[in-house]
Amino acid sequence: MYFDKQIHVPQLFHNSFYAMGTRCQVILPGIETERAEQVLLNVRQEINRIETCLSRFIPYSELSQINQNAWKSPVLVGEELFGILKTCQHFSNITTGAFDITLRPLLDYWKEKTDNSQADSQLAGIVESSGMRYVTLADADRSVSFSHDSIVLDLGGFGKGYALHMVETQLNSFSIRDAFISFGESSILAKGAHPAGDHWKIGLNDYMSPGRSAYEFALNDGSVSTSSNFFIDHHGKLQNHRHVIKPKTGYPVEELVTVSVKSESAVDAEILSTACLVLSDVELADIRTSLPPCEIVRILYTSGKPDIHIV
Amino acid sequence: MSINRKQFLEMTAALAGSTVAMASMPWLAAFQNPAVIGKSASDRIRIGIVGTGGRGTYLLYLMVELQKRLNIDIVAVCDDHQPHLDRAVERSNGQALGFLDYRVMFEQVKMDGVIIATPPGHHAGPTVAAFENGVHVFCEKVMARTMSDTKNMYDKHLQHNTILLTGYQRACNPVHLTAIDRIRNGTYGQITMVRGHWNRNQDWIEYKGIEPASELDRKLNWRLYRDTSGGMITELCSHHIFSSNWVFDSQPVSVVGSGSTNYWKDQREVWDNFGLVFKYEDGSHFVYNCLQSNKHNGVQVQALGSKGMVDFEVNREYQEEPPAPPAIRQLIHDIESSVFNAIPIASATWVPAEPVKYGGQFISDDWKVNDTSLYLEAFLDFIRKGSAPESLTIQGYNASIWALVAEKATYSGVTETLPAEFRL
Repeated sequence: MYFDKQIHVPQLFHNSFYAMGTRCQVILPGIETERAEQVLLNVRQEINRIETCLSRFIPYSELSQINQNAWKSPVLVGEELFGILKTCQHFSNITTGAFDITLRPLLDYWKEKTDNSQADSQLAGIVESSGMRYVTLADADRSVSFSHDSIVLDLGGFGKGYALHMVETQLNSFSIRDAFISFGESSILAKGAHPAGDHWKIGLNDYMSPGRSAYEFALNDGSVSTSSNFFIDHHGKLQNHRHVIKPKTGYPVEELVTVSVKSESAVDAEILSTACLVLSDVELADIRTSLPPCEIVRILYTSGKPDIHIV
Repeated sequence: MSINRKQFLEMTAALAGSTVAMASMPWLAAFQNPAVIGKSASDRIRIGIVGTGGRGTYLLYLMVELQKRLNIDIVAVCDDHQPHLDRAVERSNGQALGFLDYRVMFEQVKMDGVIIATPPGHHAGPTVAAFENGVHVFCEKVMARTMSDTKNMYDKHLQHNTILLTGYQRACNPVHLTAIDRIRNGTYGQITMVRGHWNRNQDWIEYKGIEPASELDRKLNWRLYRDTSGGMITELCSHHIFSSNWVFDSQPVSVVGSGSTNYWKDQREVWDNFGLVFKYEDGSHFVYNCLQSNKHNGVQVQALGSKGMVDFEVNREYQEEPPAPPAIRQLIHDIESSVFNAIPIASATWVPAEPVKYGGQFISDDWKVNDTSLYLEAFLDFIRKGSAPESLTIQGYNASIWALVAEKATYSGVTETLPAEFRL
């Protein structure tokens, strides 16, 4: 009799772990702890699997094998990675090269330079030798080959989005209705809704007023990805980290900018937030109709306060 | 003074300001308030070493290094294996007299302290002889092969008012010192379990080409034979019994265990794999295993608390709830309070201040400091002062004797406790 009167109250489960060089926060409202722990284990294993596959730092990863050998002869790859590279090629095409996974030599070129005026005659050559046009993806045998030996594929602007996409698959397999997953705060997957609402409210951090939102997205079953080209220094000032390069010119983007993209697809959101960072409003308008359904918010901080552009 | 030692002194100075730390680690005073070291011959500490195999030779090397800045003489070395003895005399730069028999050594050479680094089955004899000659002792772990020898060594140290330290160098390990201080301060919450392992993939036969189980094999590969060693229980696990006892500031009340030799089927008499579960009075446990057929993750000893976990041997600590970004904390609070607000979360990727592969944070930057050398330095300081903190001696005793109780449990298969006559 006593047991019949007990009321089962599902718990709020939250946990975090480190992966892909950052922290992953998992929030699962209204779930039994045992099931949530199993979900978390599966999520972690899936992310570890993806990291092992996509990392260019792990010598034996499938991507590393391509980088080491594809300039010598075609490298046969698995279905998953081949599909990822095809996706990257597709987005390179529809963004007219703004999304580019071959920029590593340019990033290395600028690594020790602190100003765009430090560019020298080498730059033009590196720009000319970069780009997906030097990467051949052969559907017939799922092989990858490079036209020359300085091509390096870097999936840094893709990995977290793809990881969240695969995490979503895991959540679905557990029939998880509501979930909030944050990957380093820059890549967010929100399933279902906040327990007290009918969606999730994702605020875009206002760097001029930390703790406040410069803009809000309403999200059901989708993702928000944010990219930027600056960091906050010890004095609270925004500093350009110069890691965002315009593929067409080879120069770092100089204006301080963040781009947030809301999409049903975590992969699309991740890729487009990276690509749109190197595009002006005009360039973005030119390709806007080619892009998959999404909301794009560019926030310029050059004037010292958030200048919001909804594209 | 090396930079590492300088860092260590700064660290111990910081700990010395903590009442909690000084209560649980009083030997830190050896570094913060060392005895005055006179430069005259009469101020010189005379040291002998008994047992100059692998470990003894290493301790001799450390003593020779300490001799460069401390006023000590290495007056005698002793080993009943002539090649080891000859090597030790040579490594002492010829300053030490060599002896095959420790009794003759104590008769002929006056000394203030002696390092005993013979196999555990041969610790008790030279240790008691040293005490009877008024010589302070630094004895390698474990103290002895039997509980009665262990207790007798302790009693003799009291009877002769001499120092007895056991070679559990983690007592001077910066990572342990820092972590224990944090445990005492509640950083990791209530610790209810220590777990660990020391795994290797090797046969442990250090001297090859000797007829198995011959007299020479028993002398040189002594770790394989039960009259001289308890195998990995006394040689490896006892270090971590020391750590666990330190974490719980207590000693176990019981231990259960199981062991077997099912991989290295050779002359050895000791286990090549075992598992142990120690229980403490408050219900906490220390769970430990060793094996010699897989080395994955090697040595790990972790104290698990309600607020965090400390991984001593890899110098990392993990908070139970890693610091979440403010927006995540707000979201959790909102959900728990049924508040539906936007959270200002979307921003540039958070990147840790240091590369993080498996999470967690370093406990101490001073991990490179040689804890064995520091421990020997503390021993020399205690000799100058004429006494050592008794708590350190008791911790060594408890680690040693519980290794023997644990070994017994792996053979008996029943829950073993420490007989009353061996409790301090």
